[in-house]
Amino acid sequence: MSAIIVLGLVLLVLMVLVGGKQGFQSFLSLVLNFGFLFFAIVLMAFHFPPIVVTLIAGVILLALTIFLSGTNDETSRLAFIASVLVLLALVLLIVPVEHWAQVQGFGLEDSDDLEGLSLPIGISFIDIAISTAILSTLGAIAEATMAIASGLDEIKEQHPDIKPNRLFFDGVYVGKQIIGTTLNTLFFGLFGGSLSLFVWFHGLSYSLGDILNDKVFDAEFIIILFSLIGVIITIPITSFVITEQFKNQKQTKS
Amino acid sequence: MGNLLKKFPIKMVGIFALIGVALMFFVSHDDFLYTQPIMQIQKVEELSKNKEIDTFQNVDHSYVQKLSGVITNGKHKGEHITLNNTYTDSKAMDKKYKVGQKAFVVLHGQGESTIRDAKRDTPVVFLIYLAIALMFIFLKMAGITAIGSIIINTILFMVALYFDGFNNGSNVLWIFSILAVLFSAITLWLVIGWNRQMFVTLASTVACTFLSIIISLIVFKFTHEKGIFYESMQYVTQPPRPLFLAETIIGSLGAVMDESTDIISSLFALKMERPEVSRKQLFLSGRNIGKSIMGPLINVLFFIFMGETLSMTLLFLKNGNSWGYSFSMNMSLGMVQSLISGIGIVLAVPVASGLTSFFAEKRRK
Repeated sequence: MSAIIVLGLVLLVLMVLVGGKQGFQSFLSLVLNFGFLFFAIVLMAFHFPPIVVTLIAGVILLALTIFLSGTNDETSRLAFIASVLVLLALVLLIVPVEHWAQVQGFGLEDSDDLEGLSLPIGISFIDIAISTAILSTLGAIAEATMAIASGLDEIKEQHPDIKPNRLFFDGVYVGKQIIGTTLNTLFFGLFGGSLSLFVWFHGLSYSLGDILNDKVFDAEFIIILFSLIGVIITIPITSFVITEQFKNQKQTKS
Repeated sequence: MGNLLKKFPIKMVGIFALIGVALMFFVSHDDFLYTQPIMQIQKVEELSKNKEIDTFQNVDHSYVQKLSGVITNGKHKGEHITLNNTYTDSKAMDKKYKVGQKAFVVLHGQGESTIRDAKRDTPVVFLIYLAIALMFIFLKMAGITAIGSIIINTILFMVALYFDGFNNGSNVLWIFSILAVLFSAITLWLVIGWNRQMFVTLASTVACTFLSIIISLIVFKFTHEKGIFYESMQYVTQPPRPLFLAETIIGSLGAVMDESTDIISSLFALKMERPEVSRKQLFLSGRNIGKSIMGPLINVLFFIFMGETLSMTLLFLKNGNSWGYSFSMNMSLGMVQSLISGIGIVLAVPVASGLTSFFAEKRRK
């Protein structure tokens, strides 16, 4: 059996042991996420517009991640709405910055891997770079919206008569607590994911200026920065969505 | 809503915007800091357009443009040069230049020169600054500690790279394992402080990261690493297998730390509020907190590891390769990394809850 399948089975067993039904659902969301991701790539290969495919896939992937991991449906629904808003805001940042930075496709460091491959394939790699950036940020967005939404849920439950405006600042407070560790998840992800590239830079004595202008490094670094900005704007956006909903709920009750 | 608007820190946003404009002006005029000659493009002329069809029936167009501009730095500053640039519709390794853009060029003498690559430090610095500014505006102090820990960790990372280059990668796994422990200790010290809670979190982070690697090594041994293609690893200048494991350790460390911190800080808070809570209750509520965050966390790394394979996978598919082969050569390593870090993240739930229920007990003054 292939190592990937066995590792997957180990993960499945552990998740069910630790999380029971919820653990199984989380595993299912991982499998479905992979399926949709691969399906999206195949659609792009058939010349469907990459950004449109990515946006549709992105909303589906957010829904899968949030609804299959959450316990409380109402919280998940609000988290989902907030995450879609964050996604749209990020897209407005990603599209112009990717056109500006021009980090699409491959760099000089990729030359060995590209041997024997035909590059002019008639698909705009700028669009592909935008799609990559959008897809890479989805996990971070989903995680942050869920953390804030469930944190605020706790507060709403314990203080049902809290003022809506107060709730907004509580959301920001919850956000402050998660930002430090989320930042680490993202940056260690970058350090780890690009370790061999950094070893390359070191071996060939790249200067800081070389690295800062290097296409391959910039492509990955920019994505981590997009995720980080996504997590930061998640804090006010999620707090705002939940506060507004809470206000409406109060009005209909009274 | 009016109340929210009143608290909007308009002064701070104004100050950040001003600094930002100054910084952007500087970075877009920092050519004197570079030793390679930089050219600013002043005139673009489109020369020709050709239709191209490759052996896999992919249709593309290639264009030639004539660029004229002026050198902005070094001893050739002020000289005018003219050169040709070729680009395609797909722009995989080339780009279309526009008036006003800057690019690094290579001067061959006798008026001959070729364009190397775009100067892209301005957009990168813009994004770094935007992230830092947003962090300060929304998070104040929490933002400063977070950035501080990133800076210290980056310096440590460079030191580790230096030692790795020293003996040509033969100790890469040891160097980055030690680095992983140092990373966690410093980060947790900055985030939590120097106390019992920090040590419990550190123990949980380190234990789970290495446990997940050990489990994976056992799986590798019994499956003979079938389906893992180290030869598909990119940018390899050292033996790929230890480098891959080192990548996975560092990559999953942050997420395992994230999970452990969330569980342990909630449990310590619970223990503070209700000192009479039993070990078993503590363990069970740790499991409850952990199981709802583990799914989203695994997905964070999944999307980061898999997202970056998109361009190459697509290129493989368009070069007449089968779906299975394109997956194996591009996505299998990312998949293995996602799964190993997933195992670490899940293990963190019982380990963090167990360690806390064991060590949070003796909290008497």
